[in-house]
Amino acid sequence: MADRRHVSTATRRQFLTVAGSLVGSVAVASAQTVRPAAATTAAAAIGELVGDAPVHQGKVKLEVPPLVENGNAVPLTVSVDSPMTAGDHVKSIHIFNEKNPQPNVASFYLDPRAGRAQVSTRIRLADSQKVIAIAQLSDDSFWSDSVDVVVTLAACLENPQK
Amino acid sequence: MHDLPQMNRRSFVIGTAAVGGGLALGLELPFGQARAATGRPEVNAWVVVRPDETVVIRVARSEMGQGTITGLAQLVAEELECDWSKVTVEYPTPGQNVARERVWGNMSTGGSRGIRDSQELVRKGGAAARLMLIQAAADAWNVPAVECGAVGGVITHKPSGRTTTFGKVAEAAGKLDPPKEIQLKDPKDWKVAGKPLKRLDTIDKLTGKLTYGVDVKLPGMLNAAIRDCPVFGGKVKSFDPGKVAGMPGVKKVVPVGDSAIAVVADTWWQAKTALDALPIVWEEGENAKVSSASIAEWLKAGLDAEEAFVGNQNGDAKAALADAAKKVDAVYSYPYQNHATMEPMNATALYAADKCEVWCPTQNGETALAAVIEASGLPANKCDVHKLTLGGGFGRRIFTDFLRQAVAIAKEMPGTPVKLLWSREEDMTHGRYHPVTQAKMVGGFDAGGNLTALHMRISGQSILASVFPQNLQNGRDPATFQGLNPSGVEAAIGYTVPNLLIDHSMRNPHVPPGFWRGVNINHNAIYLECFIDELAHAAGQDPVAFRRKLMAAHPKHLAVLNAAADGIGWEKPAPQGVHRGIAQMMAFGSYVAAATEISVTGGNKIKIHRIVAATDPGYAVNPAQIERQIAGSFVYGLSALFYQECTVKGGRIEQENFDTYGSMRIADMPKVEAVIMPSGGFWGGVGEPTICVAAPAVLNAFFNATGKRIRSFPLKNHNLSFA
Repeated sequence: MADRRHVSTATRRQFLTVAGSLVGSVAVASAQTVRPAAATTAAAAIGELVGDAPVHQGKVKLEVPPLVENGNAVPLTVSVDSPMTAGDHVKSIHIFNEKNPQPNVASFYLDPRAGRAQVSTRIRLADSQKVIAIAQLSDDSFWSDSVDVVVTLAACLENPQK
Repeated sequence: MHDLPQMNRRSFVIGTAAVGGGLALGLELPFGQARAATGRPEVNAWVVVRPDETVVIRVARSEMGQGTITGLAQLVAEELECDWSKVTVEYPTPGQNVARERVWGNMSTGGSRGIRDSQELVRKGGAAARLMLIQAAADAWNVPAVECGAVGGVITHKPSGRTTTFGKVAEAAGKLDPPKEIQLKDPKDWKVAGKPLKRLDTIDKLTGKLTYGVDVKLPGMLNAAIRDCPVFGGKVKSFDPGKVAGMPGVKKVVPVGDSAIAVVADTWWQAKTALDALPIVWEEGENAKVSSASIAEWLKAGLDAEEAFVGNQNGDAKAALADAAKKVDAVYSYPYQNHATMEPMNATALYAADKCEVWCPTQNGETALAAVIEASGLPANKCDVHKLTLGGGFGRRIFTDFLRQAVAIAKEMPGTPVKLLWSREEDMTHGRYHPVTQAKMVGGFDAGGNLTALHMRISGQSILASVFPQNLQNGRDPATFQGLNPSGVEAAIGYTVPNLLIDHSMRNPHVPPGFWRGVNINHNAIYLECFIDELAHAAGQDPVAFRRKLMAAHPKHLAVLNAAADGIGWEKPAPQGVHRGIAQMMAFGSYVAAATEISVTGGNKIKIHRIVAATDPGYAVNPAQIERQIAGSFVYGLSALFYQECTVKGGRIEQENFDTYGSMRIADMPKVEAVIMPSGGFWGGVGEPTICVAAPAVLNAFFNATGKRIRSFPLKNHNLSFA
């Protein structure tokens, strides 16, 4: 499971909703799944989220091991530098990836009552790839961080159909 | 290899003594030593040239007897143009690989991929180093680099005849930018690669200089023995550490996860003795009801199940079989098997609040590091893994269960290194087993005796469903169809049948499956190649001629089949009392075939007189090593055929040691005549493919000798043994 210290007020139903799409999940705020994006690439999926708005580097910290043994359950934590006040808070945190069938892995919706702008979960990664986290703040600005994750597959059966 | 510091026991011990139990332990020493001795001897990530002209080639893949460090070093040396007699090798650590943005690429060593997946990277590494060394010499002489060349570690300015050596310019070369364009040699021009050179590690192996996992000794190190619940999926219900607390040497009793208990003591035998005396009550769970018989019954139902994942399909096999003038069918089965590495699973871990280091034999340094990161809870840059020579891998040491256990134990004893060593019994009963399957084969002929349809239904366990469920394709395990795929460069079927269906009813018992040298090809080859023989016999045709007719569209498969047949003298009569068998397959990117000559006495004593084995691996980097891999594949494959089966009773594996899990002896082993026939244009593996043709080539000969088809294994269950 993800970091238990940050178990939140998410209801059981909300929890199960997100857990169904991820591999077990704990979020600090109410969480819900997004519909499978029609977009087939991370860039297109990000475009659907942000439109023409610029995405800034900074404020967001994506923590995920640079090397994972098995892509079946990859732990990650996204935290955003935010006071989480009514006037200045994180509205949502979105996780994208390059090579999974669905580029928008998860979206978390937060409000000031979340207290901390941090979510932890586990996701599946089909292969080594870049994972991208984007936060939308209450001023509708977008901030991002990304990490390259190496999935160390057991090579006995890599690319069996090749 | 004489100068391979981190594998060398003497420098290892000196290194650890020098730092007196600190965190910077011996295996880090080689890099420090090299730098201290020569300043900047590294030309690039792959090549270090010392002032004494010693060339250290860094190899990312793991050596486990297959010879990969020698082959990879040959490829680097070929492009480097160094003096081969001056070459030694060393492993970079996975932590260094991460810190240097994976400059050494993937460290995984399995799937017969050591050379084929990294040949381009290592050749470019060697070529880049050569160009940098030449440039450094040219700069010193103030001449154009194009006027200079390198041979045997000596750089010559051709117009003037001036010479220098790699060792003299290495430091300057290391400061240059790497070349942007690299032209690799055509393999036909190879002088070092492609030659049957001696292995780099043989002398150190013979003299006991190599450090295996079981050899590790660190200052202040404690030893641990472990017992996991004998029933897979079971848990520890209770245990009583008070009963062993006062026993000699015992330091601590540590629960590991929810299913295992470890005892830590001064010596391993003290830990093992206390563990034997420790009262543990297991909560075995539902799996305790499972037996080999219940698994077999479940798999048998899959042979005729309606739903199945399709692996290869053309035409309409079911309709064609219904219309067939003649039908032949047979049911085969293949058991669970353990890797049974000579060196049991082990790992030595040192955990502190700010660092975790592990020393272990592993087939994938990066996977091991990822497991250490996760098990220790520390950031990646605080963890590292020091790879040691493997006392056997065969796919078992791709897994990290034992390593995670070692870290979990070490976390309970911060600052103290702990070596966890499994007993043989623990190793035999907690493997990652060759999966269990059955197959129903049905073939149909038209009135003219032509094979019109073939249905192969595999029922049984998927490895990916257990190990990498994220790599299933809509529930289907593509790896199940290894060697049976319609096409592709990895493992395609070698026959064309007008109506073909190969499908899989997936049934996953609780026994954990793994990648056992050869993986799914081992049973697939027995099922297909023995049944093709049955079909040939039913059609009244010679097995080689019958195959050739089906293989016209598969010239590389056909070429190795013909080579094996020619080698054994298929067209000529066999000696009196001697009978022949043949089999072919494609796996791990290579084409393989084997033909055998056997005799059978008393109906049950089998003597193998000759084996001819042909392999087309595309390119042959070290033909001598390929020859040994081919011969070794028969030792592994025939041991499995004659002796090896892990049976399940009460949810646990019954075989605990070599008294009930045998292997063939040297007197049983005939000479293997290897035909290495690299046809170029592709890169195939050699460590695994040949294993799969060992069994069917003997089984088909056994039929020719006795008229009996054996369809379940091992042969000991049929009272069959070596003569």
